Amino acid sequence: MMNDETEQFESRLSSQPLKQIPAAWRAEILTAARGAQPSRRLSPVTRHPWLSTINSELSTVFWPHPKAWAGLAAVWIFIFTLNFSMRDTSPRVVEKSATPSPEVMVELKKQQRLFAELVGANEPLDADRQKLFAPKPRSECVEILMT
Amino acid sequence: MKMPGGNDIERLYDEHAQPLYAFLLNFTRDEADTRDLLQEIFVKLAREPKLLAGVREERAFLIRLAHNAAVDLMRRRGTRDRTKENFAAEMISPFATTNDPDEKFYRDELAVALGELPEEQRAVVHLKLWEGLTFEKIAAALEVPPNTAASRYRYGLDKLRGRLRPLYEEMKKAE
Repeated sequence: MMNDETEQFESRLSSQPLKQIPAAWRAEILTAARGAQPSRRLSPVTRHPWLSTINSELSTVFWPHPKAWAGLAAVWIFIFTLNFSMRDTSPRVVEKSATPSPEVMVELKKQQRLFAELVGANEPLDADRQKLFAPKPRSECVEILMT
Repeated sequence: MKMPGGNDIERLYDEHAQPLYAFLLNFTRDEADTRDLLQEIFVKLAREPKLLAGVREERAFLIRLAHNAAVDLMRRRGTRDRTKENFAAEMISPFATTNDPDEKFYRDELAVALGELPEEQRAVVHLKLWEGLTFEKIAAALEVPPNTAASRYRYGLDKLRGRLRPLYEEMKKAE
């Protein structure tokens, strides 16, 4: 009995017709929706979702001044290129400035002696010449000049 | 305007705008708010077409979007603090107009009675009575357990019955 009454009441309520949506809203709302739709240059088949996500994120970041961002990117690319091209020569400089190994030093000294013998035995070696003109007290210098 | 997943915004509008409008109008009781919310929903769908990807029940999903948007709007505007008297005073009816004075009176009284219900009960009552959704679908749309949806409906219906009983009985006698 109670259920019948409830059902009657429910059907009475649900039979009340609701207001219709104003017809003019369709065009207005759909125009707004179309304006908000993201533009698609590639077909959905060829486009990867993650690529489109990255693209949309980048677009939102770079959209205000795309030419300015492109110019800035070009400047940075130029700076990096210049930097890398200069780095190519640096290892050679390091090689040249590096101290030679002891074997090389021994070989070098041998060649120096050989060269000195060939040029003339009386010529003092660079090492001896350095000793001759090594800084000394003035009194000792006078003695050397006197002798 | 084709959207990924075979959805186009025009089709979505033609199929769902009317029930969404009625639901939002009953919820907000404001034509301008209803229009803003509807536009917000369709703009969102156009901007993020993947929202509907894999959705089985479009209507339930769209009602959920509408409900969330309406709740957010109410929160932003502080309209939750509105008194029941305000709703009654505004008399923004979600029902169609009629020339029959008795029907008009009944619809006006029903609109006021619905406006006096708490929003969560009004939403469930609307979806059950005028959308014919099951409690499971209502629960999914409003993101509440089915038992909660059912109990909200019963509380809401009891209040409506109590409010409209004298009028209802009078009309029955007249018939």
